[in-house]
Amino acid sequence: MRLGKVIGRVTLSRTVAGLEGARWLVVNPFNREHFPQGETSPPGLTREPSLVVYDNLGGGIGDVIGFVEGREAAQPFPVAPPIDAINAALVDHVFHHPR
Amino acid sequence: MFLARVEGNLTATRKHPSFEGWRLVICQPISRDGTAEGVPQVAIDSLGAGMHDRVVISSDGAAARKAVGDEQSPVRWIIVGIVDEVSPGTTSLKDAA
Repeated sequence: MRLGKVIGRVTLSRTVAGLEGARWLVVNPFNREHFPQGETSPPGLTREPSLVVYDNLGGGIGDVIGFVEGREAAQPFPVAPPIDAINAALVDHVFHHPR
Repeated sequence: MFLARVEGNLTATRKHPSFEGWRLVICQPISRDGTAEGVPQVAIDSLGAGMHDRVVISSDGAAARKAVGDEQSPVRWIIVGIVDEVSPGTTSLKDAA
């Protein structure tokens, strides 16, 4: 998974079957230079393309989340829905020490 | 699979239940000489990789799901080995400072 900051939410009026009522987050992924430390995340956005992430953990704007991309995002569902990014963790604390 | 360097870890109370009990480590993909390439990925670790160890991470979700024992898990990245030597390149377990 990658880490990112929740910068918005999306609601859908019509959806494909099985995704009615789902929560969707707009997430700006962190990069190496712009990475959370401890309980704080850096201000501003990275140049990484933002994406829409399915959420069933209750993430909100400003939260740091771990999201999984790819086919694995559909794995938690009994019938695989057409999603390719899912919120897998609400991150409490990050220890990051690059060299 | 990517060559990567362990550059941190994280804690998360609210997470998919399949991650319960697993170390979540921040892995920075690197080139042969240790230069960072691309964005850090968070992988599960059962090998006890230490800070700044070089590791190989795999994006094989099926294998990662087998490791956590949950077919419904969204897990994707898993540390599959701790690097001893990259040839040609450095021969130390950790990067030369």
